[in-house]
Amino acid sequence: MIGISLRSLLSHKLRLALTTIAVILGVSFVAGTFILTDTINATFTSIFATANAGVAVTVHGRPIAGQSGGVGGGQNHPIPTSLLATVRGVPGVNDAVGSLFREGATLIGHDGKPIGGNGPPTFGANWITDSAISPYRLRGGKAPTQPSDVVVDAGTAAKNGLTVGQSLPIVFLGGVEEHFTITGIAGYGSSDNLAGATIALFTESTAQRVLEGQNKYDSILVSAQSGVTDVVLREHIAAALPSYAVAETGQQAAAAAEQSTESTISTFIGTPLLVFAFISLFVGSFLIINTFNILVAQRTRELALLRALGATRAQVMTSVLVEAAVTGFVASILGFVVGILIARALLSVFGSASTGGVTLLPRTVVIAVLVGTIVTVIAASLPARRATRIAPVAALAEALPETQPLPRRRVVIGLVIFVLGCAALVTGLFTSAGSKLQLIGVGFLCVFLGVALLAPVLVVPVATVLGWPVAQVRGAPGILAGQNARRNPRRTALTAAALMIGLALVTCVAVITDSVRVSTNDAIEGAFRADFIVFTQGPDFNTQAAQALQQDPSLRDVTEVRGTSVIIKGSSQGIAAIDPANLGSVLSLSMVSGTASAIAASNTAIVDSTEATASGVHIGQLVTFDFPEGANVPIRIGGIYTANALVSGYVVSIATMAPNVPTERDAIVLANAANGVSLSQAETALHHDVKSFPLLMAMSRSEYRTFVGASLDSFLNLIYTLLAFAIVIAVLGIANTLILSVLERTREIGLLRALGMTRSQTRSMVRWESVIISLLGAVLGLAVGLGLGVAVSGSLGALGITEIAVPGENLIVYAIIAGVFGVVAAIFPTIRASRVDILRAITAE
Amino acid sequence: MAAITTAGASTTATDSRPVAARTTDAVKEYGKADAMVRALDGITVAFGKGQFSAIMGPSGSGKSTLLHCLAGLDRLTSGSVHIGDIELGSLNDRQLTMLRRVRVGFIFQSFNLVPTLSALDNIVLPLTIAGRKPDAAALAEVVRITGLGDRLKHRPNQLSGGQQQRVAAARALASQPEIIFADEPTGNLDSRASTDLLDFLRHAVTELGQTIIMVTHDPLAAAHADRIVFLADGRVVSEMHSPTADTVLDVMRHLGD
Repeated sequence: MIGISLRSLLSHKLRLALTTIAVILGVSFVAGTFILTDTINATFTSIFATANAGVAVTVHGRPIAGQSGGVGGGQNHPIPTSLLATVRGVPGVNDAVGSLFREGATLIGHDGKPIGGNGPPTFGANWITDSAISPYRLRGGKAPTQPSDVVVDAGTAAKNGLTVGQSLPIVFLGGVEEHFTITGIAGYGSSDNLAGATIALFTESTAQRVLEGQNKYDSILVSAQSGVTDVVLREHIAAALPSYAVAETGQQAAAAAEQSTESTISTFIGTPLLVFAFISLFVGSFLIINTFNILVAQRTRELALLRALGATRAQVMTSVLVEAAVTGFVASILGFVVGILIARALLSVFGSASTGGVTLLPRTVVIAVLVGTIVTVIAASLPARRATRIAPVAALAEALPETQPLPRRRVVIGLVIFVLGCAALVTGLFTSAGSKLQLIGVGFLCVFLGVALLAPVLVVPVATVLGWPVAQVRGAPGILAGQNARRNPRRTALTAAALMIGLALVTCVAVITDSVRVSTNDAIEGAFRADFIVFTQGPDFNTQAAQALQQDPSLRDVTEVRGTSVIIKGSSQGIAAIDPANLGSVLSLSMVSGTASAIAASNTAIVDSTEATASGVHIGQLVTFDFPEGANVPIRIGGIYTANALVSGYVVSIATMAPNVPTERDAIVLANAANGVSLSQAETALHHDVKSFPLLMAMSRSEYRTFVGASLDSFLNLIYTLLAFAIVIAVLGIANTLILSVLERTREIGLLRALGMTRSQTRSMVRWESVIISLLGAVLGLAVGLGLGVAVSGSLGALGITEIAVPGENLIVYAIIAGVFGVVAAIFPTIRASRVDILRAITAE
Repeated sequence: MAAITTAGASTTATDSRPVAARTTDAVKEYGKADAMVRALDGITVAFGKGQFSAIMGPSGSGKSTLLHCLAGLDRLTSGSVHIGDIELGSLNDRQLTMLRRVRVGFIFQSFNLVPTLSALDNIVLPLTIAGRKPDAAALAEVVRITGLGDRLKHRPNQLSGGQQQRVAAARALASQPEIIFADEPTGNLDSRASTDLLDFLRHAVTELGQTIIMVTHDPLAAAHADRIVFLADGRVVSEMHSPTADTVLDVMRHLGD
């Protein structure tokens, strides 16, 4: 029987080609993601290994609760410089050096623009003089000795044409430019660079000044005397440390750094890409089901003959599954190879410091092959089950039976899955439990499966409606196109459902972004009263900008808005702080109860009504704010306001926040034009002021609105790109179904040609069938996507998404594009159809 | 009763009625070099207007090939085919398609009907393809004589084989073509259904003046024709007017020798 499967496979290789492409695309996306993240991780691993080679023990502060991890410092308790002496005094310590390593030293390139833009982190650090411990290796020039000296990493230097002796402007923490002189170029361990980040190295006192770490280190690096093992030394040092500090061996530190970067990479790159990879595979599985369904239908007589000759049901099932497994396996291997290419392409896009090679772990091959093969076999198991139900007598039947009506059982199952999906989705959206994302994912999956199962019921009515105008315009080819789209509702439905998924996701995201856009615009029009906003796309900035603007006579009500994380009732929450004196001039909060100016009182907050309801907070109540680097402060609730897209959550005065937060950082600065100064004059003055702050942007209200819109558009474009794979697979699916249908209807097409249908009419018939299938997918996709988008947007009330907007224009464009996809998908099938040999078609017995 | 001409190469319509279709030195070869098959080996034949002609011959005699070439479904290797005054060899694919659409009707042995269309839609299909409105009176007459009446809304798979072939015949008539080509139209029918269909075709010739050229290997079917052209090995070997089943069988027996 296996021999029969393989022979059948070879004879149908053309028909399986598109299935193979679908599997290849899906698998390549999965494999590419793994290869990409593995390669980046391997880059970091080797960097950390060489950089920490001379370090026996590392001392750093305990992590601060409620702060997220990351590559740089700043999340741990800082260490006072005085601790260095303590560590040096521990027996067995050869040398110990303090290291300050923080984000926030942005180099300004020769073009006057920040190097790296808003991309990779910009680190600043102190030069470590003990070269046995230091991760920095001088490649040229000399170490910094003067306050104005800087050493930059070799990778950044090479990329931006920085050389020893040049003057280099640097911006610290979003402040004003300071000018340094490049004295040297250094590597990080044996690499040029820390995977694309920039590193600027200063003398210790300069580093402490510019990075706002006066008398502080982030870690102490220790080397051991000969004969003292890292483990023993770590124990000695740990015993001498105060409670806020911990000691790790060099290996442990490197492993921890690796783990933290790995989890960062998987959170921000790996997981999102895998989600889209699995969407592509999911869509591809529809194509696989369809192909095998059609192959089984075409082989009905052959399979029946095998049954008549004594093959068991199990053997028939196996023969189909073996065919699927071999197809899936071959396609997976090819997909893995394509995945390597994708990973390479993405690495070059990310501009990572990878040295050309990619990391291929055996795990990736195994996953790629298993995923591709299993998806193919599972998808083919439905058609295989159908194959087992072919009665031996079918071998003798004259014609293939017309399609049976849809079993009621299937409709019921579809409805149940759909309803369960909706329930999971709604529960997921409105719960704050940890399983939120899983529930939403399962909800989406079940909604798609349910609609796909129910879709055959919709094929006849929808195709009839869509087919009517086509029949009017195109005559006989149009009528036949509509009839053909309806004649096998399951096949049409499955084909359209694949396109539905991609379009539904696009529509859903479009509805969400449009809701955010409209809500933000509402907030800008309503809550936002300031004439101008100053902000950055990087980390929060220091107060230099606010101070500079306060000096400008063209501006008034210059108001800093700060943010920090506190722990409230056990969960970490962002809070905002603002100067209450200007609150009314720059913001207009719509109060449910109490007044916004209540925050002028010390330790008083206002909170939005959604959050208040969710956490059961009411006016006058005391809520404890646990400031990670400060005290536990009881805060009285002085008012409740309605959240909007710009302001939500708890708001306090700067006076309340400042004593509990060691650094002063502004998230945004708001300002109005001074009395008697026109808006345009004030704007000119503002832009002039902000010119000294290369990382900051200053905008008027309308400019800000445009800016938000553009950001949302680029987010939408990113989603389009990621969903493109799934949509390409769906379009392949349409082409696949049409090619197989054309093959199946060879005689019919021959008859039509004999009866006077021209080649172009024949092409038109197939093309319009394709367009009807695509539009069916579009109708389903837009409807499902709208539902999902409205549900998700509706659940974002706490983020101030108060309006649910439907981007009508986008939806019309999607429908038109779907129609165009139909035309594109039909290109090859129409050629096949118009080349049907009339004689062979009508004389074949 | 039966006038038999056992002539050689050239056969023409013996009476003076106008010619509906004719071939001159028609040659059709398949394959190349060693594997070459000469399906038509220089056939010159003419079919009269308003006549029911049959083409007979043993398997491989070239009868179906002749019909396909006459109907514009296939092209000759050399020689010429005329339908009316039009020489088919000079037409491109589109022109041939138009010719089939406007001047020719077809009845095939099987798979005559588009399965997704009702009987009525199948009958008017050539007109729909051409974007023409069926002439209501003519259509009603065609439908009446098929005797399908209440089954017009049925799909082909809901009709018997005989009914399907009558729908095909009605379709061939509905566009009022110059010639109807029928390729073994009774090949898949039982004798009762065959007789019904042949009576129907006979009626169309006698009452409506339709021209029909039919390929068959069934002497009973051929006996309904006005004239039979016998082929063997790609040549016209014999001809018969006003045949009966017995006289046809006689000739066939000779050809078999």
